[in-house]
Amino acid sequence: MNDDSSCDAATHEVKSTLAPRVVLRAEGLVKCYGALTAVDELSLDVYEGEILGLLGPNGAGKTTSISMLCGLLKPDAGRVLIRGVPIAAGGADVRSRVGVCPQDVVLWDKLTCGEQLQFIGEMYGLATREARRRANVLLRDMNLEDKSTALAATLSGGMKRRLNLALALVHDPEIVVLDEPEAGLDPQSRVMVRTYIRSLARRKTVIVTTHNMDEADRVADRVAIIDYGKLLVLDTPQALKSSVGAGDVLEIELGAVPGSARDALAFLEGRVTVEWADHELVVRALDALSLLPAVVSALNAAGCRPGAVHVRQNSLEDVFLSLTGRRLRS
Amino acid sequence: MRLLHVFGKTVREMRRERLVLILTVLFAPLFVFMYWLYFNQAPASYKVLVVNRDTPHVTSSGERLAVGDQLIAALRAAGGGSLLTVDLVGSVSTAKLALEDRAAAAALFIPAGFSRAVAGATGDDSAWPVGGPSELVLMGDLTNSAYSVAAVLVSAAADNYVREVTHAPAPIQMIERPLGASGGRTDFETAVPGVLVFAVIMLVFLAAMTIAREVEAGTLRRLQITRMTALDLLGGMSAVLVLVGIASVLLTFATAWALGFHSRGPIWVAILVGAVTAIAIIGCGLIVAACSRSVAQAFVIANFPLGLLMFFSGTVFPIPRATLFTVAGHGISPFDVLPPTHAVLALNKVLTLGEGLHAVLWELAALAVLSALYYAVGVWLFQRLRMRAT
Repeated sequence: MNDDSSCDAATHEVKSTLAPRVVLRAEGLVKCYGALTAVDELSLDVYEGEILGLLGPNGAGKTTSISMLCGLLKPDAGRVLIRGVPIAAGGADVRSRVGVCPQDVVLWDKLTCGEQLQFIGEMYGLATREARRRANVLLRDMNLEDKSTALAATLSGGMKRRLNLALALVHDPEIVVLDEPEAGLDPQSRVMVRTYIRSLARRKTVIVTTHNMDEADRVADRVAIIDYGKLLVLDTPQALKSSVGAGDVLEIELGAVPGSARDALAFLEGRVTVEWADHELVVRALDALSLLPAVVSALNAAGCRPGAVHVRQNSLEDVFLSLTGRRLRS
Repeated sequence: MRLLHVFGKTVREMRRERLVLILTVLFAPLFVFMYWLYFNQAPASYKVLVVNRDTPHVTSSGERLAVGDQLIAALRAAGGGSLLTVDLVGSVSTAKLALEDRAAAAALFIPAGFSRAVAGATGDDSAWPVGGPSELVLMGDLTNSAYSVAAVLVSAAADNYVREVTHAPAPIQMIERPLGASGGRTDFETAVPGVLVFAVIMLVFLAAMTIAREVEAGTLRRLQITRMTALDLLGGMSAVLVLVGIASVLLTFATAWALGFHSRGPIWVAILVGAVTAIAIIGCGLIVAACSRSVAQAFVIANFPLGLLMFFSGTVFPIPRATLFTVAGHGISPFDVLPPTHAVLALNKVLTLGEGLHAVLWELAALAVLSALYYAVGVWLFQRLRMRAT
């Protein structure tokens, strides 16, 4: 929380020191609700034209973080800078550089698709004609052209989601914040939205929160994982996946795991990553499949009978679980 | 048994919607308490203004007879001394103004030479030849229920007193003179100004719920990051609500007119009063909306201003005016902060008494000030509670 004078001074200082490609910077953001610290010292830079994925379990502080990033929520400490200008002091000019697509579908049920796009454009200060033009472009991009005169209340769930996304883009913002944009979409719509987000990245900076690791892996240039309000890692999906073990993942379902089973697999130590989960053994290795016969033999010898065996590629989910654990959040 | 489970579930839900529950339960007790505060257990009293032009008369026996003064004393003593509050005023116009503002229930005019006329009625030679004015004039708004009660009390007290003095069966005549064009109104016509104000008061629900819908649907949050200000939002919405209010006023008038209602004064002035009142009521709605997170909450909270605006403004039944101070000859009472107080007075002046724009300028000015005040408070509260990043 800064007073205006310190903001001005800081703005000047930051403008002169920020790297040119940083579009949005979060500095030590903190938000508390009573005893709960929803966001704890979150600092990150978002670069021009990139897609930043924000991953975290439910209640990790993702939505609180992006609410502060777009100026909807006032941090208890820290600040957000857009192109070096503090969002709190920058007013509507700075705020309207960001377009936000909320997690919930937020529409005016009694307005048509065209009307609400035009209306929100006008609220961002576009002239009526320009707002109408932008509305038509977005309706076409979102495959909603033939629904231009349909009331939002009459749209299907997927169409509402697409319209929800379009509303964040009417004013052609520099930064687009998408909170769970693929939630509730059918596969066709999901592919369409994903393609659209990727196409945005050429012209805009996109911050996207998601639970869908596959979505983050496919779409994001960099991924930030947060839990308990803290930023745990921030890197490219490839680098993150490498950090938990290169190559494939071998998952073997087990019944009861005797202590001797762990000893039986001691030969793997130092060569590959071995994780023991509840009733599951996870082995990560460059060529995990080749290790399968030896692992199964060793388990059998230790009196541990393997169940189903899965072999898959290393994913962000592995990174996510290794960092945030498997325990459900309260 | 399922009924019991539904009962239990409903109790749990209600306990968790605490604000709505508390407001609902407290609504009636609060109003009882407010009535008690205002009326403070004082006996009902009706204010009567007296214009006394009478001069004392000396009878043939040398007795000085000041019937006007004694009549005033008799009025003050009526009903054990608490039923009538008698104030002397210097002119008929002052009395009329107070009656129009409903600052008094009735006005009594005691003519010059009244003492001489009463002396004549007793057969006293000093008043020979018998003649002169033995008429008392009682004036009031015939559509004001307080006037009816005051008129009966004044007539009885005056008649008793003069009969006691003269021992004659009907020594004086009490002439009733309606204030403005208030005579000859039907009960229906008398009720129309109040009903009209009631129609406008109902806008508090529409205003509060329309705005709360943006909060509940989350669309306000979407608008928060645009360039839109609280004034843009509330001003734009209010403009529509005012149009709805004016349409409601016009439709109410049209319905009343079709059913036999006739305005004594210019109808456009009444419509103007209705429109300005609508703006002030919508201002109250903004305050309610600022305090509401949902349409249901707005509905419950709006009942409070509704109750105040209806029961303490004189819309439903007359409320005695406790004058705190005077501004430009107009007494200011606690409930003057309620827009309908002025609307009822103004509409009564126009529709019932046949007055024009000049007679309601004070009320229109008061409504304009209150509208600006409620709007300013509503916009400020909305900005603070609903529009600001928290």
